[in-house]
Amino acid sequence: MMNDLSIVILLAIALSGLLLWLLIPRHGSSGKAAATFSPDLNETLPTAKHYGYFPQIRQALSVADSRYLVETAPSRVAKQALRERREVARRFLGGLHEDFSNLARLGRIIAALSPEVSREQETERLMLSLKFQFLYALVWLRLFAGTLPLEQLEDLTGLVGRLATRMDEAMSEISGLSAGQLPRNVGA
Amino acid sequence: MNHLETLLVWLTVVLEAVLCGFVFARKAQRTLPFFAAYATTMLATTITVWFVYERFGFRSDTSYFCYWILLPLNAGMRILAIAELCRFKLRAYRGIWGLVWRVLGGISVLFFLHAAIDAWGQPNRLSIYSLTFDRDVDIASVAILAALLLIHNYYGLSLEPLQRTIALGICLVCVVDVIGETIVGNLFTGYLLPFFATNPTSVGSAIIHFYARMNDLWTTIRLFSFTAGVGMWCYALRKPLPEPAAAPVLLPAEVYRELSPAINVRLNAFNNRLVELLKP
Repeated sequence: MMNDLSIVILLAIALSGLLLWLLIPRHGSSGKAAATFSPDLNETLPTAKHYGYFPQIRQALSVADSRYLVETAPSRVAKQALRERREVARRFLGGLHEDFSNLARLGRIIAALSPEVSREQETERLMLSLKFQFLYALVWLRLFAGTLPLEQLEDLTGLVGRLATRMDEAMSEISGLSAGQLPRNVGA
Repeated sequence: MNHLETLLVWLTVVLEAVLCGFVFARKAQRTLPFFAAYATTMLATTITVWFVYERFGFRSDTSYFCYWILLPLNAGMRILAIAELCRFKLRAYRGIWGLVWRVLGGISVLFFLHAAIDAWGQPNRLSIYSLTFDRDVDIASVAILAALLLIHNYYGLSLEPLQRTIALGICLVCVVDVIGETIVGNLFTGYLLPFFATNPTSVGSAIIHFYARMNDLWTTIRLFSFTAGVGMWCYALRKPLPEPAAAPVLLPAEVYRELSPAINVRLNAFNNRLVELLKP
């Protein structure tokens, strides 16, 4: 059984490990993005990079394609093709994760650059991000196990796409603020 | 003290003097006054303790009280230096600073309360009080630094190189101290305690001899880490300090008020969709 000594030593080592990891400067992080808010931010913080491939992915994951494969191709080829389609779906899910993270990061950068911040809003966003990480891991596991119908991803991509489009619009409007223009309504 | 310890103590004194020299030559006291005060206190306490050892002897009561009273003083100055690190960058971001100082303050109060309660519950010896308090303050320091860096990371900010090196040095010193003080504290308060209260027997003498060797070993390791920490700070201060970064241009408050709830609503919608995906 662990005594106090072991617990304290392990805690100290764990904390210092975390601290060292946090102290490593990250190239390409949003550190500079938060410090300066320029019109170039649209390029440094892409909000919907992966959504652009949505039409091709939707085609690749379509139910009709799957049926056609199963009906016409030899069994081995059809299985191989379905496996590859799942791999594509997993990668696309990873891309959507990245898009989501960028949107959440946009919220944090806006908070950092705001003279007033709401505790409720920040706590809610933190909780939403944590919940997303958990749910994403579950979806990924189900996709990996082959128990998630691929067509359900269509709904997900649609939602992210709408989100991304509105955020792109909002980003353009906020970027305009750096030139001293305050739009009447910047809400997405 | 053995030769290695004596050498390390001298090296520490020299490095602390160099650090103080760099701090005032680079006028770091203007931007980091508490770190400058911490550096000065370290040098002053090391010289005082050394002088008292030389004057009254290593085993004298005066040396005992001097060392164990100055130890929490050093810890207190380190806490102020950490508080300064917390405020240094974040104060420019008024919105999140208003939120974050409460979080950091809450964490600090929790840890310091724990330190006080932990020290209070120890056997009645100044050394054990000081050791326990210093150990818990070290843990608090590392935890507060970790929280500070997590907050920086979360909001996409980063510490300046000098502040990052100061944080790294404090982390190194604190972690080695925590490990050493936990082991030494356990020896003090564990099976060795009866030998401090009664006349040492032959077995007691053997254990105390073992304790002295352990203590020597940890003193050496601690001095190494402390020297490394001070050396890092000297290295970071070797060049003139860059001009302070310009304050960030903040957005109008309306942007946050309108965009933040909208973003949260959509993030929530996304999570709801993921939940639907997972339903059988």
